[in-house]
Amino acid sequence: MAAGKNQSSSKQRPPKILLAKPGIDGHDRGVLVLARAFRDAGMEVLYAGLLPTPEEVIDTAVNEDVDVIAMSLLNGAHLTVFKRVADLMKERGIDDIALVGGGTIPEEDKPALEALGITGNYGPGTPLSTIIEHVQKRAAEARAKKLGQD
Amino acid sequence: MSKKELQRQERRSWGRIETNINELVSGVKENKFSSIARAISMVEDEDPLLRKDILRKIGAPTKKAHVVGITGPPGIGKSTLIGNLSSGMMTRGIRNAVLAIDASSPFTGGSLLGNRIRMQDKLRDSHVFMRSLANRGEKGGLSRSAIGAVRILEAAGNQEIIIETVGAGQADLDIMNLADTIVLVLAPGLGDEIQAIKAGIMEISHIFVINKMDREGAYFAMKDIEDIVSMDDHSDWKRPVVGTTSKDNESYNSLIEAILSHRKYLEMNNSLSVKRKFMEMETALEDEINENITSKLKKKLIEVQTSGNKLSNDKSDEDPFSVAEELLKNFLEYSVE
Amino acid sequence: MEEDRGFWHSKLKEASERNSSSKDANLEKWRKNTLKPWEDKTGYKPREFINSSAIEIKDVYTKNDLPEDQDKLLGLPGEYPFTRGVYPNMYRGKEWTMRMFSGFGTPEDTNARLKYLISHGETGLSIAFDMPTLYAYDCDNKRADGEIGKCGVNVSSLKDMEVIFDGIDLSKVTTSMTINAPAAVLTAMYFSIARRQGLSLDKIGGTVQADILKEYIAQKEWIYPPEAHIRIIRDMMIYCTENVPRWNYISISGYHIREAGSSAVQELAFTLADGFYYVEMGKNAGLDVDQFAPRLSFFFNSSINFFEEIAKMRAARRIWATALKEKYGAKTARAMMLRFHTQTSGYTLTWQQPHINIVRTAFEGLAAVLGGTQSLHTNSYDEAMALPSEEAVKVALRTQQIIAEETGVTDTVDPLAGSYYVEWLTNKIEEEAYRYFDKIESMGGILEAVKNGYIQREIASTSYRRQKRIEDGKEVMVGANKYVESDEQPINILRIPKEAQDRQIQRLNHVKATRDGKKVSESLARLRKAMEDPDTNIMPYLIEAVESYATLEEISNVGREVYGGWKEPIII
Repeated sequence: MAAGKNQSSSKQRPPKILLAKPGIDGHDRGVLVLARAFRDAGMEVLYAGLLPTPEEVIDTAVNEDVDVIAMSLLNGAHLTVFKRVADLMKERGIDDIALVGGGTIPEEDKPALEALGITGNYGPGTPLSTIIEHVQKRAAEARAKKLGQD
Repeated sequence: MSKKELQRQERRSWGRIETNINELVSGVKENKFSSIARAISMVEDEDPLLRKDILRKIGAPTKKAHVVGITGPPGIGKSTLIGNLSSGMMTRGIRNAVLAIDASSPFTGGSLLGNRIRMQDKLRDSHVFMRSLANRGEKGGLSRSAIGAVRILEAAGNQEIIIETVGAGQADLDIMNLADTIVLVLAPGLGDEIQAIKAGIMEISHIFVINKMDREGAYFAMKDIEDIVSMDDHSDWKRPVVGTTSKDNESYNSLIEAILSHRKYLEMNNSLSVKRKFMEMETALEDEINENITSKLKKKLIEVQTSGNKLSNDKSDEDPFSVAEELLKNFLEYSVE
Repeated sequence: MEEDRGFWHSKLKEASERNSSSKDANLEKWRKNTLKPWEDKTGYKPREFINSSAIEIKDVYTKNDLPEDQDKLLGLPGEYPFTRGVYPNMYRGKEWTMRMFSGFGTPEDTNARLKYLISHGETGLSIAFDMPTLYAYDCDNKRADGEIGKCGVNVSSLKDMEVIFDGIDLSKVTTSMTINAPAAVLTAMYFSIARRQGLSLDKIGGTVQADILKEYIAQKEWIYPPEAHIRIIRDMMIYCTENVPRWNYISISGYHIREAGSSAVQELAFTLADGFYYVEMGKNAGLDVDQFAPRLSFFFNSSINFFEEIAKMRAARRIWATALKEKYGAKTARAMMLRFHTQTSGYTLTWQQPHINIVRTAFEGLAAVLGGTQSLHTNSYDEAMALPSEEAVKVALRTQQIIAEETGVTDTVDPLAGSYYVEWLTNKIEEEAYRYFDKIESMGGILEAVKNGYIQREIASTSYRRQKRIEDGKEVMVGANKYVESDEQPINILRIPKEAQDRQIQRLNHVKATRDGKKVSESLARLRKAMEDPDTNIMPYLIEAVESYATLEEISNVGREVYGGWKEPIII
């Protein structure tokens, strides 16, 4: 939760997450598990379906005003595709939606992704709790930005 | 502490929004999707001040929108139908927007907003704004955000606002109250499900749709509903039964016709958005009571409990009602002064 | 329809009556007099014992857990209902085929690899394709950027296939192509190359996966709505039955269903349900079941719960034979036999302590052999994070050789037959599969159950449940959630250089610049006509189109326009 000193007594709505596989990749076991796990952690979860283009992912994220886009790719194209999403966001001046990545991402690719603002970048076998905690943290940051508390 | 100070303290600091709020409102009026999206988030937030602020600034619509509620049991193709209905309206030059409602878990508050996936391509191609709303399991919470969202979409110049609901439960009925026109979607071969639905929503629906008309048993299903409708005697509105199938785009035209003629019927009877206006006022009143009375009384109760300053006739151990009564009585007297 | 429902419903009733075990007085006595005092004395209480299919496992199984007619359910090897194996002497006669699946970046790389394998005596070639090919996007499509050659070889036009098979005599090899949605196009390319080599099509043999139903269920690689793909597969089935008798046009695959997170019972039930659909499709197309059913083969997963996997494979044979005989009227033994390829599970491998994957794979491979597989791919230990290294592939192959030649498990046929536990579990898994068939039939068949998302949701729920059990430590993954070593870093994946993509695009540009444009548009126009008419077989038109050097994407775009695309039902 965003920790503003003037936090209202009324509750904030739950973090809103868009799960997306913005490439040519049908491996969806992971995102489908995450969808349920995020829900059970009290988040509102959208899934962009299979094979959306980066443009479609961003349109959905904007219209739904999500806090985090959680991207997953297991086809090895993360450097190209994740970057395209990050670039498009920048182009459109969106800075209050956080990008989180996951999939088969080698250690050595992580700094490049981090530099684009894509964090997490978890591989297979990462405990759900680790991913949930990170997504919640990024969601809170994005929400704070939206509310001008950054 | 003065009333003003209290209010200020409760108010969340939303600096960026505050500076941009006018920009946001003009964005909404220009039908800018990003502005609409952010404005809806503001009314979705459980902060009544935020909601009040944005809705006030948005003000009264230049033109009234017609709200169409689409309901029916899960798995009968509502989302695909809405995708076709909405893009069909766009083709006719009728600007519209879609709200999809999903159920939240009453335990965790989390939800899977799954409806989007089936219609998003059609809507995106037709440049229709669509938004998912979670029913947060709190009484009235959903209709509160839905009411706000409808106001925003109306201000954006949409003539028709389509709301899809999960097709079950109290929250569903609340949303249906918001709708000017209720469309009940059924499919051939439902059997038991139709029986279950008959109980509630059947009576309040204005239009019936038999979806998946290409399926076996479709004409019998249509006949069944037509038989029920033929016994209607409580209204001038003859409830139409429409058949649709994703295999035939023409079939959606008859649904659009039905929706538009119900709109015309309502307009002629001066009853378009009458229910909605009442709900808006009712919600606003609840918000005011919450903000100015309930929350303060609760605070007072905590004060009383933690400070050890007992009320004059403390019977809290055996009777919580007398504490409640006294708190409210004191408050009302104080306010009158 | 009603009749069908009756069939599975009565099978289910039969099986559950058969499996309701009578009370075993002896065992009750044993529990009271021997087990209970022991537990009390030692304080060792049983944990929860369930397998992937959530079947609860008892402490001890006896004769009483098996039905009276158990022997009839088994038969003898090579005889109906084939529970004990499809061949009378199984591995005593000939070992299973050790088929190692391989995929490579560019057509040139793949050609070199195939030639290397052939020079070492391999005659069974196996080719994997990259994602853009599997979804029928050409290498120059913007969406394919960064994905060319990543998970297999890229094929954008016939030219690429010419390079792959350059210098390889197709009458001397059989080729297995792991491709589904565009299977008919790749098949057309293969046939075209054979014809250019002067071979008549009855001289070549091979397999395409072409199991489109499991794509909608699990692997999610489709182009059109299910009905369109099914029609194309039907055309391929008819064309091959008439012209290419040695072409296996469908390999019905449970592997991906399992990897998507399903249980053993779900893998079995959904795969066989897919299989039944294809049988009905063939029959509806007017083909003779005894003629085409022998061309259908299966592909299963072998996972880590040893006896569950063995029981699954034994049950699969029995169910298939029973259905083919009783429901579909097959008369020949060959049509009733379920032959299958097995691959060990990728899901059970860990990137942590990668060498222990060798042990997992060995047990999984052993289960496949005890389950009576016809061919086997054992995973390499580094496969959880990487394209396998040469050394890892060798260890995986050696594992199979140890099972075949050192352990002695092949000395007799179906060595586990008659084990109270294994037979009970086989019967139980069969019953659970019938339960799913009954349910699926009541929903209007497998296609309907897939289109409304029921099957996918069943799998997703199982997958989530398992993940939570792993997180809670109820299910152990050594090295990952127990006996963990700190400071482990995942190993790096093999990189396919970007040049692979550039080279493919160059070749595609060259093809487009040098082909006869008029021929392309004419062949595509004829293909469109064929696609629009459900009574025309599209195979000859596909062959004509690929031979005009229309690209994979251009050909598929005709279908995209005729049939449209497909969006998944709501699964989350």
